[in-house]
Amino acid sequence: MRKFTEKELAQYDGKEGTRTYVAYKGKVYDVSQSFLWQDGRHQVLHTAGTDLTHALAKAPHGPELLKKFPVVGILEDS
Amino acid sequence: MAKVTREMVEKAGVNLDQLVELLVKNAAAELTTYYYYTILRVNLIGLKGEGIKEIAETARIEDRNHFEALVPRIYELDGKLPEDMKAFHDISACPPASLPEDPRDIQAMLTVLVEAERCAVRGYTHLCNLTAGKDYRTYDLSQAILNEEIEHESWFSEFLGEGPSGHFLRRGETSPFVSKFLR
Repeated sequence: MRKFTEKELAQYDGKEGTRTYVAYKGKVYDVSQSFLWQDGRHQVLHTAGTDLTHALAKAPHGPELLKKFPVVGILEDS
Repeated sequence: MAKVTREMVEKAGVNLDQLVELLVKNAAAELTTYYYYTILRVNLIGLKGEGIKEIAETARIEDRNHFEALVPRIYELDGKLPEDMKAFHDISACPPASLPEDPRDIQAMLTVLVEAERCAVRGYTHLCNLTAGKDYRTYDLSQAILNEEIEHESWFSEFLGEGPSGHFLRRGETSPFVSKFLR
């Protein structure tokens, strides 16, 4: 499985046709197919290409929603 | 625009641009859900479908009420609505509540309905969290809508066999919580 640094992950921000990746607890998920991640943004406050581990702890939903999407790699720095 | 209103909310530490965008996205979700629920409702037919039609209709009408109640708050805070319907659809805070491939599959219909309500419950919980103790009017409105979305979720959840909702269906009037914003 591919390993991502935070800098590499940041390239997948969902803008200008790039894939939309987010990290959670060391895993990198591809959320490109999600209606709720259009243009690399989610519910105004969150951006793709980042580690959402801390943000998800405060979100009104748990990781179960993220786990519907394919894991495409591992975040090295986590 | 309500100038002092904006000032008070901003002074309380709320990021107004983010708040307004969230309100617009949730209003868009209500309007598009109203549309999608119209299609779901007319397809709730047969012995099983007819039993769900009434609550789908109540949820549909109340979602439209939520849209109507959100619009004045958006304008008070100097926000504006999209200029065309496609934009409303595309910026929605929730995914489309599309008709399942087989509309006779009642489980699939109920799953679409309950997931739409769960998205709304998350959205208004988020708005309540952002505005609690800071923007009293948006909080009050979001909380009122949240109360109704929670009831919708529990109705559909009950039909899915996940457990009892613990309350009865509406008797006549709709939007018992949000109606004060519709006067």
